[in-house]
Amino acid sequence: MNFFKFALKNLIGRPIRTVLTIGGVALAVAVAVSLGGFNQGYKKAIEGSIEQLGFQVMVMAKGCPYEAATLMLKGGTGLLYLPDNAYTQIKEDPDVQAITPIFIGLAEKQNVGIMGDEDEGDGSNAFTIMSGIDLKSFKEMKPWFTFKTGEGYDGGRWFDENATDEIVMGYEVAEYENRKVGDTFYASVTPNGAVEPVMHEFKVVGVLERTGSQDDGSVYIPLKAAQTIFNRPNELTIVGIKLKEFNGIRMREFEGRWLRIPEVQVVSLQQVKGALISLIGTAQIMIAAVAIIAVIVAIIGVINAIMMSVFERMGEIGIMKAVGASRKQVFILIWIETLFLTLIGAIVGCLLAIVGSGAVDTALRYLLNMGVTTDMVDITLPLLVLAVVSAVILGLLAGIWPSLRAANLRPVQAIRSSE
Amino acid sequence: MKLRLATICFCAVFVLLFAMPSFAAVGCTLSNPARDLKSLFPEMTTYREDVKEFTKMPDGQEKYDILKARLGDALDPVYESFETPYTLYSIYKGDELLGYVHGVNVAGKGGVIQIFLSVDPQTAQVEKMLFQRLESLGSKQLRSKEFRNNFVGLTMGDFYKHDYFAAKDAANTADKVGQIKPPQGLDDRAMPDYETVMRGVRKDLLLLELFAFDMRHEPFFERAQSSLKQ
Repeated sequence: MNFFKFALKNLIGRPIRTVLTIGGVALAVAVAVSLGGFNQGYKKAIEGSIEQLGFQVMVMAKGCPYEAATLMLKGGTGLLYLPDNAYTQIKEDPDVQAITPIFIGLAEKQNVGIMGDEDEGDGSNAFTIMSGIDLKSFKEMKPWFTFKTGEGYDGGRWFDENATDEIVMGYEVAEYENRKVGDTFYASVTPNGAVEPVMHEFKVVGVLERTGSQDDGSVYIPLKAAQTIFNRPNELTIVGIKLKEFNGIRMREFEGRWLRIPEVQVVSLQQVKGALISLIGTAQIMIAAVAIIAVIVAIIGVINAIMMSVFERMGEIGIMKAVGASRKQVFILIWIETLFLTLIGAIVGCLLAIVGSGAVDTALRYLLNMGVTTDMVDITLPLLVLAVVSAVILGLLAGIWPSLRAANLRPVQAIRSSE
Repeated sequence: MKLRLATICFCAVFVLLFAMPSFAAVGCTLSNPARDLKSLFPEMTTYREDVKEFTKMPDGQEKYDILKARLGDALDPVYESFETPYTLYSIYKGDELLGYVHGVNVAGKGGVIQIFLSVDPQTAQVEKMLFQRLESLGSKQLRSKEFRNNFVGLTMGDFYKHDYFAAKDAANTADKVGQIKPPQGLDDRAMPDYETVMRGVRKDLLLLELFAFDMRHEPFFERAQSSLKQ
């Protein structure tokens, strides 16, 4: 007896039930694969974003910079700064391979939004991130930066270190502001201690190629110029550090040495990665719960479909047994039907997950914007294989009971009950 | 525990600072369409958002050429290219079309200027002219209601007429566009932004002609061109 052909024929004979059962399995597998892809993709995206920062350790001012959230909402000031002597001290640390001081300030945009016009100036607030950098050390830390070329961008270069009116723009901010090399750029900055913003005029001397990271959204300016226009001489926002040897022990030692400076805190980007991943953990648990429920529903669906099939074919099974089919043969036949249902469902589910990964990515990005710019859903071949194998195993387990019921039927009883 | 708090705090900055500038494509869309359109049309019940791309139109190249020819100066090859998308908002009260809202990006002296026009669907006249973004030394004067009200009632036809009047009869009071002057007290350094705004309104009306009004003011263009040739 060709079990596969026979099982397939049985399934095709009941198309609606078969399609619905496969649909249920497919949906559960698609959810599970998307979740797995999100787990993988998010970790990879965070790692990528952190790699793009160029440094492994950051030293920043002590105190919770959650105030940053307030300043975003209120448009005031509030970023925390550390004295730049922290930089000169840390620079001498024997474990430091490279170090770069960074000053971050926010230039306000004038009344963004059409409501500003209607309400005579009460527009939404928006900012441009101005990053004051020490060119030499910054370039060493991020050697991958290149300048955009082509019409309007040729001749791009880094600013003169002593310049006060030259800027380099990240790819996206240049695109957003419609700026090209040689253009003027206005930035309104409220200097520390002042109330009213002062508008500064800069010349765009270069536009950077896209990096796919947060750097694309920043405007770069010489460190000294940034400190001057924000009226924070000798202050820094972050000191980025690359250690000669980066591991847990070295990191602890380094941290121990510098935590003694009262104003600073040391943060490893590995910790940042861990914290970002754990921040998203709750959402992942909720999605996992939904996936588990979907899988349970699918298993029940498979059991139900096979049981219905067995009950409907009582007479058929009875005759099969009466003409000599063994218990084993009946069991295998029903089990193969389960195998087909779950295998086809799993494959369809995988295809659904691949096709829908773009939409899932967009939805996750919309709901959970956690600072990553690359794909948040990464569906790999091992993940798909794992999903198919798991679905088939679960399906086969779910098929044991209905198959046993069918195998244990007595021929006469089965034929009679079907009449 | 302390370290963990610091780490989480840093994450907040990482996310807030570095994830914030998630800029969209170079097209010009309202930053909060539901809110903004409701403020422009309080009686609005729904709106439709149509993304218009020359690349996806069967006669896209022809339309792009029309835009180039009628704008009066060259289109920026990077930011006003054939690929640049545009968004047309159609505002409804039930089934009744109340108006169109459309915006353009134009490169101001110190940054992008985003101009939005609210237009009557029957007369194609400007009902409101608004800035979504304007970084300029003359921002206050250009944003003033007094200046923006100069554009109320204008159509693309008025700009075509202006082409004729500007060349042949500059003092003619029928030249509505010619009557618009830079706002009082505008800093000389902001004059390029004033000129950019004028160009932006013309470009916006031209795009509306292409996307919504089926080039209804074309006879004015042809008449102006033939008069100028004579």
